[in-house]
Amino acid sequence: MAMTRDEKFWEGMRWAGFGATFLFMAFPIFWMILTSFKVARDAYSTKVFFSPTLNNFISIFQDPYNFGPLLFNSVVVSFSTVAVAIPAATCAAYAFSRYQFKGKNALMVSVLSSQFVPPVVVVLPFFILFKNLHLLDTRLALVILNLSFVLPFAVWMIKGFIDALPPDIESAAVVDGCNRFQVLRHITLPLIMPGVVTSAVFGFIQSWNEFLFALILTNQKAVTLTVGLMGLHTDKGILWEHMAAASMLIMIPIFAISFTIREYFISGLTMGAVK
Amino acid sequence: MNSREKYVKWVMLAPALLILIGTTLYPFLYSFITSFRFWRLTRSAEPGAFVGLANYVRAFGDAGFWNSVWVTVLFTIISVTLSMAIGLAIALILERATKLNTFMKSLLIFPFAMAPALKGFSWRFMLNPDYGILDAMIDFVFPFWSDVVWLGEPYWAVFWLAMTEIWGWAPYIALVFIGALGALPQETVNAAKVDGANTFQVFWHVTLPQLMPIVIMVGLLKTIFSVKMFDQVVTLTGGGPGRATETLNFYVYNQGFKFYDMGYASSLAYILVTTMFIFAFIYVRFLMKGEQN
Repeated sequence: MAMTRDEKFWEGMRWAGFGATFLFMAFPIFWMILTSFKVARDAYSTKVFFSPTLNNFISIFQDPYNFGPLLFNSVVVSFSTVAVAIPAATCAAYAFSRYQFKGKNALMVSVLSSQFVPPVVVVLPFFILFKNLHLLDTRLALVILNLSFVLPFAVWMIKGFIDALPPDIESAAVVDGCNRFQVLRHITLPLIMPGVVTSAVFGFIQSWNEFLFALILTNQKAVTLTVGLMGLHTDKGILWEHMAAASMLIMIPIFAISFTIREYFISGLTMGAVK
Repeated sequence: MNSREKYVKWVMLAPALLILIGTTLYPFLYSFITSFRFWRLTRSAEPGAFVGLANYVRAFGDAGFWNSVWVTVLFTIISVTLSMAIGLAIALILERATKLNTFMKSLLIFPFAMAPALKGFSWRFMLNPDYGILDAMIDFVFPFWSDVVWLGEPYWAVFWLAMTEIWGWAPYIALVFIGALGALPQETVNAAKVDGANTFQVFWHVTLPQLMPIVIMVGLLKTIFSVKMFDQVVTLTGGGPGRATETLNFYVYNQGFKFYDMGYASSLAYILVTTMFIFAFIYVRFLMKGEQN
């Protein structure tokens, strides 16, 4: 079928838009990548051609920046958060999805709403509590607070996947005398694995990127990567070549895992917001 | 259902609910009580006397508070409208399931997955008047703007703060809209075309009205997250120039952790909570309606 003039115009617009979208999305990331390979003199310029160096990646791990322990903290905090949140969320999601009981709606709404409590409200009392318990500047403190936003999101996301599964699949196992935990473990869980993995990845990303809690609760021992960036803002200004290299350290693991599971990621992510 | 079955669900719910009571309900109530007290951590580690509504009254006479409300409103309006508009545009561009579009959809994850703190730093770098690449590009295309120090002008600083947020959220919104567009029935579109409607008319009179429920949902969700935005204020502008980018969230942070005024910070935080819960309430109503269908 021949295109009308109107359709041709919009087809052209589509291509122009495609190019614009690509530039808009990719350029800031591309520029950070480029800068991370520049020596300081080139970093403070708009040069696209330069002789690349790997020194920035080495020096962020050396004195005085020492990103090694920061990387360790980020890894430990993010993994621990996910390790606690996902099993708890899966059980809760299963109960919400498979049982009818009084007050269920109210409870589900509270879980959902807890995501909307501003982090700054959560952190005020915990700052005082952790101070009294001598838990300031510990990884445990960060894990506890990260649970406040990772857990509710995971409950809703996993619930969506269980809802999509017909309950009949489980009834045979119930008849065979399995209890509910066995059903969840052996029948339901394998079927909703993509959903569980997606919410685990999403929870990991959220914890990894978390900034406010770590900024307030840590100052030395438990500092994470995102807050470590603040240390590159020195009296002499921001050390952009180091900043760019540290950015790679934060971005690459996240990009790698989200790209690996991109299809599940996209469907899971969009399902969480609108059903 | 036997009696054991009855308890199983509570055993399953218990860990998640206990964690949420500890990490959300407890601080939520604690802040509420603190908001009625006088408590400066610099003077005492113990909470001070109850002062009734004094902290809230103080807020209403505080120019810094009103400034932060205005900044938050401005930031929210810009970031919500632009990220929705750009998100919808990207969705329409990538709507058809071609190989190239699938590749592009995977790329869209990256800005969304990037740490917000990092977004602030990377845009700050690109906007620097001396060596920023974005600044250089803008100067090239619009020479009359070559003297503007982007993060030094109050309104521009708010605009760029919103831009960091839009850059991360527009792709996410686009992905949601692509999903929604794919679920729309094609018959009405074809019928409109047969009736001689052009592409724009089809979009405006057929597609957009059908998309409206999703547009409202995403708009509410984005509003909630815009009001919550914090990280980029610290890493892009530090609240400046002057107080031009001090959002309510940032203002609470300053009162609590720069001046250690826990009572006042808590009352401000509660004003923030109340605002957010108005939007959250509407959002949850919508979502639960979908749940029951």
